[in-house]
Amino acid sequence: MNEKKEIDRRSFLGMATWAIGGLIGAGFGIPAIAYIISPATRKDEAQDWIRLGSVSKVELGTPTLFKTKIERQTGWITKEEELSIYVLTENGRDFVAMSNICTHLGCRVRWISDQEQFFCPCHNAGFSKSGEVVSGPPPRPLDQYQVKEEDGQLYVLGG
Amino acid sequence: MGSKIADWLDERLGWRSVWEAIFLRKIPKVNWLFTLGSATLFVAVNQAITGILLTLYYVPTPDHAYNSVQYITNEVAAGWLIRGLHHWGASAMVVLTVLHMLRVIFLGTYKYPREITWFTGVFLLIIVIGFGFTGYLLPWDQKAYWATTVGTKIASVTPGIGDWILRVMRGGPELSAVTLARFFGVHVWVLPSALMALSGLHLYLVIKIGISEMPGKDD
Repeated sequence: MNEKKEIDRRSFLGMATWAIGGLIGAGFGIPAIAYIISPATRKDEAQDWIRLGSVSKVELGTPTLFKTKIERQTGWITKEEELSIYVLTENGRDFVAMSNICTHLGCRVRWISDQEQFFCPCHNAGFSKSGEVVSGPPPRPLDQYQVKEEDGQLYVLGG
Repeated sequence: MGSKIADWLDERLGWRSVWEAIFLRKIPKVNWLFTLGSATLFVAVNQAITGILLTLYYVPTPDHAYNSVQYITNEVAAGWLIRGLHHWGASAMVVLTVLHMLRVIFLGTYKYPREITWFTGVFLLIIVIGFGFTGYLLPWDQKAYWATTVGTKIASVTPGIGDWILRVMRGGPELSAVTLARFFGVHVWVLPSALMALSGLHLYLVIKIGISEMPGKDD
């Protein structure tokens, strides 16, 4: 058999067309993917100490709700967002600051004082006053913020 | 392996005959001017791809349009490229469509049996200009605002119904959120549907009838 691999004009042009087409496809495809995933790859904003309020507001042994406003940049919009944080202290010196975001699927929990529990209305989850899961589907306790006390004011680290 | 899959698919889809009809059809000996239509199609596909990508971030309301365009241009990865391709592609679209039309005129290609191809082409040119006109407003900057103020005002000098045309175009007497929203809707829904339908027919006819030969001395 005569295996002379000669490329004729027709098949050369055919291959060249595919190659150029592939390059153009990549030229669109790669920037397109970068463009689509771009906002997701953005690093979260730097964390900062957020003032919650006076230490004296915290009741002994009961989670106390603090609401504070923070500014958040999302896309081209800067908006004020309300942050709700439960602060618990048993002795008036050591504070635990808990997020009110349910660790199951992100609904907001609230403290039901009659039942001594945080309750999430979405899937009937219950958390103890220190944030441990008591009932329902959440995979882990309520998230906690790093907290500090300065001149009688409470601060949490967040962003 | 590859040809086995191709055979399997061909048996069920008959794609080979379609492929042959589109890409392996016989054409007369012609020159490079006959590629202007394909060039237009290529840029149209570019406009579709980049346009779809732009809608991922663009918001057609007066309080967000400008900022969302700035966000695309300066913050999103390759956003400057996607927007740039769409922006320059728009101009290329008009230029190529007109050149393509001139070639058809000068070589007499609009004649029997290609009249319908010609008429669909004329409407496609109008659609392309419509794309340009509606797209120009969307960045919602000073240039966009005043260009559309002037452009719609020009339409209002139409005898008799001019003022009514202006109000329909603007969605009221003034340029407003209504104008921006309807220009956006026309730009991304109405015109693309029309373009796809008509260019589908246009291309079908090009393939069905075949392209014309170069006219000879006696034609």
